[in-house]
Amino acid sequence: MLVLRRRVGETISIGDGIEIEVLEISHTRVKLGVVAPRDVPVVRKETIAVAAENRRALELLTDGPEGFRGTLELLSGAGLRQR
Amino acid sequence: MTGSSSLRRTTDASACALSGEARTIHSRWLGEIESDPGNELCFPAGLPGFEDHHSMVAIEIPSQRPVVYLQSLESDEVCFAALPVYVIDPAFRLDLSDDERSALGLPGNGDPSIGSDVLCLALLRKSDRTVEANTGSAIVINLHNGRGVQCVPREGGAGVFRLCPDNGWRREC
Repeated sequence: MLVLRRRVGETISIGDGIEIEVLEISHTRVKLGVVAPRDVPVVRKETIAVAAENRRALELLTDGPEGFRGTLELLSGAGLRQR
Repeated sequence: MTGSSSLRRTTDASACALSGEARTIHSRWLGEIESDPGNELCFPAGLPGFEDHHSMVAIEIPSQRPVVYLQSLESDEVCFAALPVYVIDPAFRLDLSDDERSALGLPGNGDPSIGSDVLCLALLRKSDRTVEANTGSAIVINLHNGRGVQCVPREGGAGVFRLCPDNGWRREC
């Protein structure tokens, strides 16, 4: 891993067209600004896991009415409709 | 299947490209839905993996309560099934980051009240022969302006619950 020391207002350049600027530093957090081409996704790493969860959530309905009916029966069996 | 959009709140049509008019929405999975402008939700950043879906509507079907559907207004094929987080985890506590508060248009101090200030939903997904949901990545909707965000948990998997046969929602079955 490449380790660099930067101050507020200083930047890091990655390849062509990607720049990361240190905007603000507090006691426990660093605020960064990222400039990147439109076709380069820039996300927090944790977001990737949530995106995968969401794609799985979409499949619940795309299995069609029969598939989701089974889920509703599970929910009903757990007594959730009565809450 | 015909449902109705029943989430009531103050409209903030300027936040997204919302219609501002009552209309009929077609959902590939739920059929025709009557929606009025006050039921439309704005997700300025979309949802992770669905960043282009900024406008959604929350739908309840009375016979399926407390299931809530989130239907995208950008695509009739994108629709999620969700439950209020308290149904899954009565001990749920909302922990919003500064960025999430800002996206929701919430003041920086004080915790919003779940139910009166914000609605918190967990998306359902398949898990082997049952379903699971991650309350840590709850979808939070500001009931005062219709803006929504999906929380991104700082530690992955901390809020995953599974619906266990005969035992309700548990972290492990």
